[in-house]
Amino acid sequence: MMQYPQISIPPRSEHLWRYTPWKRIHPTKVSEMPRSDPIKYSAGQDSQMEDSTEIARSFIHSISPICKKIILNDETVELDLRCSGYICSGELRVESSGQSNLILRISGDAGWTGLRISGNVKGSLSLATINDLASDGHILRCEDWVVERDSTLEFATLSAGGFLNKSDIRVDLQQTGAQVRAGIASNGYGSRHDDHHVEIKHSVGHTYSSLVMHATCDGSSHSVGTGLLTICEGADGSDAGQIFRNLLLSEKSRAEAIPELEVLADDVKAAHGAASAPIDVNQIHYLASRGLSPEEASALIVEGFLMDAFKHVKSEKVVTVMRTRLLVHLECLMNG
Amino acid sequence: MSGDSARDAVGDYRYGFHDPENATIRFDKGLSEKVVRDISELKGEPEWMTEIRVKAYNRFMEMPMPSWGNCDMLNQIDFDSVTYFLRSSKGTEKDWDEVPEDIKNTFDRLGIPEAEQKWLGGVTAQYESEAVYHSIREDLEEQGVIFFDMDSGLKEHPEIVKKYFCSVVPASDNKFSALNTAVWSGGSFIYVPKGIHVEMPVQAYFRINAKNMGQFERTLIIADEGSSIHYVEGCTAPTYSTESLHSAVVELIAMEGAKIRYSTVQNWSANVYNLVTKRGIAHSNATIEWVDGNIGSKLTMKYPAVILKGEGAHAEVISVAYAGKGQHQDAGAKVHHLAPNTTSNILSKSISKNGGRSSYRGMLQVNPKAHGCRSKVVCDALMLDADSQSDTYPTMEVGNSSADLEHEASVSKVSNDQLFYLMSRGHSEEEAMGMIVNGFFEPFTRELPMEYAVELNRLLELEMEGAIG
Repeated sequence: MMQYPQISIPPRSEHLWRYTPWKRIHPTKVSEMPRSDPIKYSAGQDSQMEDSTEIARSFIHSISPICKKIILNDETVELDLRCSGYICSGELRVESSGQSNLILRISGDAGWTGLRISGNVKGSLSLATINDLASDGHILRCEDWVVERDSTLEFATLSAGGFLNKSDIRVDLQQTGAQVRAGIASNGYGSRHDDHHVEIKHSVGHTYSSLVMHATCDGSSHSVGTGLLTICEGADGSDAGQIFRNLLLSEKSRAEAIPELEVLADDVKAAHGAASAPIDVNQIHYLASRGLSPEEASALIVEGFLMDAFKHVKSEKVVTVMRTRLLVHLECLMNG
Repeated sequence: MSGDSARDAVGDYRYGFHDPENATIRFDKGLSEKVVRDISELKGEPEWMTEIRVKAYNRFMEMPMPSWGNCDMLNQIDFDSVTYFLRSSKGTEKDWDEVPEDIKNTFDRLGIPEAEQKWLGGVTAQYESEAVYHSIREDLEEQGVIFFDMDSGLKEHPEIVKKYFCSVVPASDNKFSALNTAVWSGGSFIYVPKGIHVEMPVQAYFRINAKNMGQFERTLIIADEGSSIHYVEGCTAPTYSTESLHSAVVELIAMEGAKIRYSTVQNWSANVYNLVTKRGIAHSNATIEWVDGNIGSKLTMKYPAVILKGEGAHAEVISVAYAGKGQHQDAGAKVHHLAPNTTSNILSKSISKNGGRSSYRGMLQVNPKAHGCRSKVVCDALMLDADSQSDTYPTMEVGNSSADLEHEASVSKVSNDQLFYLMSRGHSEEEAMGMIVNGFFEPFTRELPMEYAVELNRLLELEMEGAIG
């Protein structure tokens, strides 16, 4: 039975829904269950996913006409997700083993996109997700990752497309030696609204996590970064850190950062931080003295700042893909 | 909860003694509009205050309990079992000898008269719902400093109270500020005239003695242009098997260039709900400092706030929390940068022990028109055993590109190297742990008057007894 109609609308007192409430990200009236076109996947086999008790996941599950599965074993796969139509949605199941790379490109001109991803990592997976949607599109993206014993998930996201974005990413470090290194770069321009929520759960001890989110905000854009780092009871030896940095480039831009910590074990390392500031004028001056125009200097600093979000990502393939896409994106922005 | 299990929960609390109740007036338990009107009538308040109380009561009844924080503990509060007003003395005395003997004994045991003679500019001692003793140094009175308990302040200076009451914390701000506004009684009222610097701290001491008592004091401090004052408050209650409720509202107004420092060492027994709203408004170049220590209570929810309304205003919040067995210290700070070139610093330190839970909940907000703001938030948490919990919920909302904000936090346990070093110098493990804890809280204690700092260190040492093994 479909669970969505039974789930009550979450209040804005929950940080997850504070800045992008459910009513705002829902494509129609919240009481409606709209018809959806399927996301077009460039690869993958047909699959099925279970319903969820969480509102966003359950909603995408309920309207999605398609679910695909990708199995990775020591390989690199580039998967294009083409989104078109008024409302478009789909689910994706990822199973990875060995040393694999997965490059996900989300593109298209859909008015509203719903994407739910669920993954299981054995070995090492480097995941690059590029949001390259049309500049007026809305996207709701929910991801759930389980990292198994002595396995590593490298998670890199470049959020540059779409007008209204809501991402809810959850990683469960379920077994000893599991690691996640997450980097999120968000480029805000125009009146873009980009909301990332990341939950990392250390279910057992001797697990490692790091989360870096860098956001630049220009025009009247609005960046939101909320994180919840939970170290469960008995998860001694966990090492966790998260940092949210915002670079504010214009008078009307806004940035929110809420890095939360819940620690129920005492023999752990847990730290978090957040910082928001404008570009340092000394840096602009330094670059201008080398012959760059103020715009070029600013673009170079933005590029360096956003790429710095991926400094913990070891996969050269992922870093190269991210840099290439970011350069193209910034070049397009500079040239109008 | 049985008496024994209550004692188990609260542990060895040195202020847990209580005196026999000798109430001159005691209201029946429970809250109704009649209770609110009766409190107002009993105090002979003006009509406008009665209306504020009744409106606030209606808001309280309408508002739901908070859906965040420790909802399990909050939902255990039985508002119908609370006594909302209890008068223990015929009036507020200016001479210590006139205070009823049993109440005097209590405050003697707490060291209040001795402290007043040595280092205080003025004292208010509140017992249950009302102040029983009040004094101010003559030289301050001559300089025009007004220091009353809040009830007398309303009688003597209704025009000032009417202007500022609820101006910083409206009744509808939250459920507990509505409750306080409806049934407030006691608290302090201070007005410092232009340019006057009150060199010695003034103190209020709050004591709950009766069972199931609710204490709802209301404090209003106004520092006029270029003036300064340091206000210190301390709180204790006896150990009972049933819970008491303390829900205060504190409003501070620092005019241009003024400075208010508000220091609290809250040491309620572990059967008290401490749900307090504290907020100040700082005008141009004014400074508001909250120095906030939370050692006792069952559940504390307290987030001292500063609204930086004028250009160049500054806020400083130093907050420490100690959560022992059965305690949840949900404390933090809020700073709203509304004006340009405003600055703030928040330092929060917490310790969790024996299954206690400490949470930092903060809000840092920069208005779009507040250019050139700077703020730094540092949260450190120390966990002394594996049964305890530490949480951090910081929020940063930045609406101006020129703002420079930093937040950093860490959670750790006491380092074995530090313990080993101190033990190799001849200290027992318990002493070493106590020294490390005192050192951890040092940024807070150094901001307190000497006597309070010494007392706090002693309290922490007592709390640390039995922490090892």
